[in-house]
Amino acid sequence: MLQLIVAGLTVGSGYALVALGIHIILRATRIVNFAQGEFVIAGGLLAYSITTWLHASIWVALAGATTIGFGLGLAFERFVLRPAARVGETAETIATIGTVYVLLYGHALIWGSLPQPLPFFSGGERDRLFTLGGVELGAQQLWALALLVVALAVLRLFFDRTTYGKAIRAAANNPLGARLVGIDVDRARAVSVGIAIALAAFGGTLIGPITLVGGAGGVAISIKGFVGAIVGGLDSPLGCTLGGLFVGVLEKLLEGRYGYGIAEPIVYSLLLVTLLVRPAGFFGSRRAVRD
Amino acid sequence: MNAALLSVRTLCAGYGGLAVLRDISLEVREGELVAVLGPNGAGKSTLLRAISRVEATIASGTLTFEGRDLKRLGPEAVVRAGLVQVPEGRELFSELTVDDNLRLGGFVRPAAERDARAAELYERFPALAARRSATAFSLSGGEQQMLAIARALMARPKLLLLDEPSTGLAPQIVTRIFEIVADLRAGGTAVLLVEQNAHLALQYADRAYVVENGSVALQGTGAALAQDERVRTIYLGGAVALRQSQGDNAPCQ
Amino acid sequence: MRDRLRADARLLPFIAAAVAVFGVLLRGDANLMQAATFAAIDSVPAIGLSLLLGNVAQISLGQAGFFGIGAYTLGLLTTLGEPPGMPPWLAFALGTGAGTLLAAAFGLLLGVIALRFRGHYLAMATLAFGLIAAGVFRESPQLGGAGGIQNIPFPQLGPLTIAGGAAFWYAWAMVALAAWLATNLLRGQSGWAFEAIRNDELAAEAIGVPTRRYKIAAFTFAGGLAGFAGSFYSAYLGTIDPSAVGVSLSIDFLLMVVLGGAGGVAGAIMGATLIGVANVYGHELENWRPVIYGVLVIVVVVFFPNGLAGLVRRPRRRTGARVNGAAALARTQLSAPSAPAQAAEPACWLAVENVSKTFGGLVAVDGVSFALRSGTLSSLIGPNGAGKTTLFNAVCGIGKVDAGRVLVAGRDVTAWRPHRIAGLRVGRSFQNARLFGDMTVLENVAAGAFVLEGATIGADLFGLPASRRCVRAARERAAAVVASLGLEPLAGICAKDLAFGDRRRVELARALAAGPRLLLLDEPAAGLNAAERARLRDDLLALRARGLTLLLIEHDMRLVMEVSDRVMVLDFGRLIADGAPQAVREDPRVVAAYLGTASA
Repeated sequence: MLQLIVAGLTVGSGYALVALGIHIILRATRIVNFAQGEFVIAGGLLAYSITTWLHASIWVALAGATTIGFGLGLAFERFVLRPAARVGETAETIATIGTVYVLLYGHALIWGSLPQPLPFFSGGERDRLFTLGGVELGAQQLWALALLVVALAVLRLFFDRTTYGKAIRAAANNPLGARLVGIDVDRARAVSVGIAIALAAFGGTLIGPITLVGGAGGVAISIKGFVGAIVGGLDSPLGCTLGGLFVGVLEKLLEGRYGYGIAEPIVYSLLLVTLLVRPAGFFGSRRAVRD
Repeated sequence: MNAALLSVRTLCAGYGGLAVLRDISLEVREGELVAVLGPNGAGKSTLLRAISRVEATIASGTLTFEGRDLKRLGPEAVVRAGLVQVPEGRELFSELTVDDNLRLGGFVRPAAERDARAAELYERFPALAARRSATAFSLSGGEQQMLAIARALMARPKLLLLDEPSTGLAPQIVTRIFEIVADLRAGGTAVLLVEQNAHLALQYADRAYVVENGSVALQGTGAALAQDERVRTIYLGGAVALRQSQGDNAPCQ
Repeated sequence: MRDRLRADARLLPFIAAAVAVFGVLLRGDANLMQAATFAAIDSVPAIGLSLLLGNVAQISLGQAGFFGIGAYTLGLLTTLGEPPGMPPWLAFALGTGAGTLLAAAFGLLLGVIALRFRGHYLAMATLAFGLIAAGVFRESPQLGGAGGIQNIPFPQLGPLTIAGGAAFWYAWAMVALAAWLATNLLRGQSGWAFEAIRNDELAAEAIGVPTRRYKIAAFTFAGGLAGFAGSFYSAYLGTIDPSAVGVSLSIDFLLMVVLGGAGGVAGAIMGATLIGVANVYGHELENWRPVIYGVLVIVVVVFFPNGLAGLVRRPRRRTGARVNGAAALARTQLSAPSAPAQAAEPACWLAVENVSKTFGGLVAVDGVSFALRSGTLSSLIGPNGAGKTTLFNAVCGIGKVDAGRVLVAGRDVTAWRPHRIAGLRVGRSFQNARLFGDMTVLENVAAGAFVLEGATIGADLFGLPASRRCVRAARERAAAVVASLGLEPLAGICAKDLAFGDRRRVELARALAAGPRLLLLDEPAAGLNAAERARLRDDLLALRARGLTLLLIEHDMRLVMEVSDRVMVLDFGRLIADGAPQAVREDPRVVAAYLGTASA
């Protein structure tokens, strides 16, 4: 069972990254980005291209994918979210759903419909395995978890310690107050989305070697990322992260016990139940969900 | 007579299709404390919003600060120019700490001076220094108002706009706030104060305007208006109909 | 609002003709016929979603779930359920009926769940439903697991096997039925209710629309339609593959509705046909197709929010710059026909007993009590933030009071929902004139009149005479009220194009359309110029003369002094003065509250 938990934490870190990205975008734009998982896949695929077409190392690919992700995020905010926001919230939500299609099949157009392999961080085509206390661990899993923690720490530092990070939080918290203090609220929004998508791309490169990137995987990652965000609490970064990990572990445990297919409906039922019983999630604050 | 810092001439402004300010004119000179009084719905807050270039739309008229046309500027540029507002409702960043809120007030100023400026302000507002790491949400009404003012002061404004600073506050706190405002004026910062509490405002103001229906109905020195019975009539209605405020037939659309 | 129905009225005959022509001319081409049949099958759930999304503004990503419920129900019943002797047509009929009803039942369930959510939470809740359904379809061994159900017998209508060409006609007949039902709903009182909910749910409640009931009805209808289509689908195809009724289908339906134009019927049909045709003929484009769809959705939602059908609508009558009706309106005496009188007018229309309301730590209303005598005009005044609007909201059922009771006409309405209170002949206006922006002035007022009528949703659905009568009566009443307030020149103008002073008047007209006996007006004079204020004063006095009980929140002191029988002053949530206008004005406490005191 410990093995399952470890596997769960690995996929869970992917969901946690999605959930965290959703949280950041929600804070900045007040809508949920249904396409977040697709951006994760996009990041992984970009990293793949950097390693195979440019023959660069995986670390260069990681940096490259993250940077391109940031740019993608800026473009996404400027050309999809902002115009749609002028029409209305429903329009914005629908626009992100449209983006799912663009990305999902766009990936297939550029990279083909088969999932692509990424080189492992420890080097080479195969993962380095070792056993610890009866549990088999892959080096990549450790890399993924470690880098995830690093990313979270960096984000935490940015949003909690730097002036611009706080300015972004201020703009999301109170746009009018932010304007009266001289903060450019539109730019803050754009940067937030950029960061969220950069995070997605980062995550895609991390888990890519394990789960392979491409194919139809993005939608499932998106959705399970949501579930994690809802269960943990949409407005709490810690909640989103823990929620994502929780969903991953739950999924693997259920799969182990009951077989592959049954896990998904149960996870989705968890979503509905949480929405009904405690829409703010376990770590979220009791803000009006119906507003 | 000092130079005019802020000049508002025949300004028409409002929200969407609703005209609130009808041909309103006033000015604030260097070092003055000017009060803007008037009943609810008269357009006082709209005036401040128009000046800070947030939320209200200007249809016509002129609005200049130190000779610069404000209508061309966005809200961030207005702050950079030295015109800072403490809005009605304070608009603090509820989830951030007192310290964060304060420092963000200096967002448009160079980073190097922020520490020194913050230290100055903590000295001036010791109550805030004591609550430095509390979230803004947890502060009392009076503390929030002080934080809002301190935040605005971080930007070293040449002209401070205050929108109803006494709303919802207990009398002792209100006195304290007004003392602070008086200090600011003494220190050379010009202040444009919008207030419902006419008596108190007139005690401190150099000059005052009474606004009714979107334009100026009365104006004069603080002392003169404090004695003027017509002020009360404007607030509470009366058997003696005041001369028709010119606003009623204004040509503004 | 009417222009959506007009667009439908213009487009649907074309569509019908096109279908007929297509069916006759191209019956030889089996592939084309099949594509057209699938387009029809998809149109039906699309119509349901179009109504949900376009008319009631509820986003639903669960339509595929209902489609699947219909499909699986028929599949199961016809392959496993029937006693051997049952004639196939009966099996098909039963399967269809069961599929539709079961889907509708789940639609109702989703509607109830959906009441709790708005915006992206609603999208997620409906998505969750769709995902759960898809998962159940895929995993249940009873439903055939991943393999689905095979060998479903063809649909049968009497002795006729519905396949090939016959399927084409049957499918489009289904579309015709769905279109007829949807149009009936939209033409009837339900359509008005939907539009009101979509424009401003709070205002809809305030004028007496039971918003919950209509939202649930919309979900039930959409679910039922999807189930209806789904049952035919499985019989037509002969098999059900669970992956075909998964979430991607829900997103396809959303695509169809967005591209075709949400709201009404024609858009849904055009969108479904477009996507259906593109799917069949764009086969070579494989992965390009969804990318193009995705880009199209984004572009359409931003630049053409009304979709294809919207392009057909004539541009709305623009009336130049904001029309100010003041010049055009004559000063008319307010003389609307009064509604049927109450048996006995209660002595006291509104009584508030010790009502308190706190928000977080702030006490907004603090132990306020008063009782209004019938036929009087009272004003509630007080400085900013004194709690006046909060008190109004409490009386109308918006937001729960924390303590105390509210009695309207002697009945305890403290826990009632706003539309029920409105049903007691209580009318209200809001601080910022909450009109239904997409409706004309006349339609806004008519919406107000509906609380007096009472066609059931069922009557609307089948276009029964009661439904038509109800709409006609409301329109007539609205016309009378509009005339009595001198608003005829503005009757056909969309509410969102009105000048500010006119908006308030229209809101008053809407409140009066229901023949209220108690009228609550929140700052009716705010933003009015001198001429408009004078007219308001006359209106208020005329209403009082007719025996209405009025309660105003106001800041305009001159108006308050001129019209009020009684003035109540609220400060920091407490009633500090209550009496005749002159006395209150001289009261030193009131003066202090407004002007402040020298030593604060």
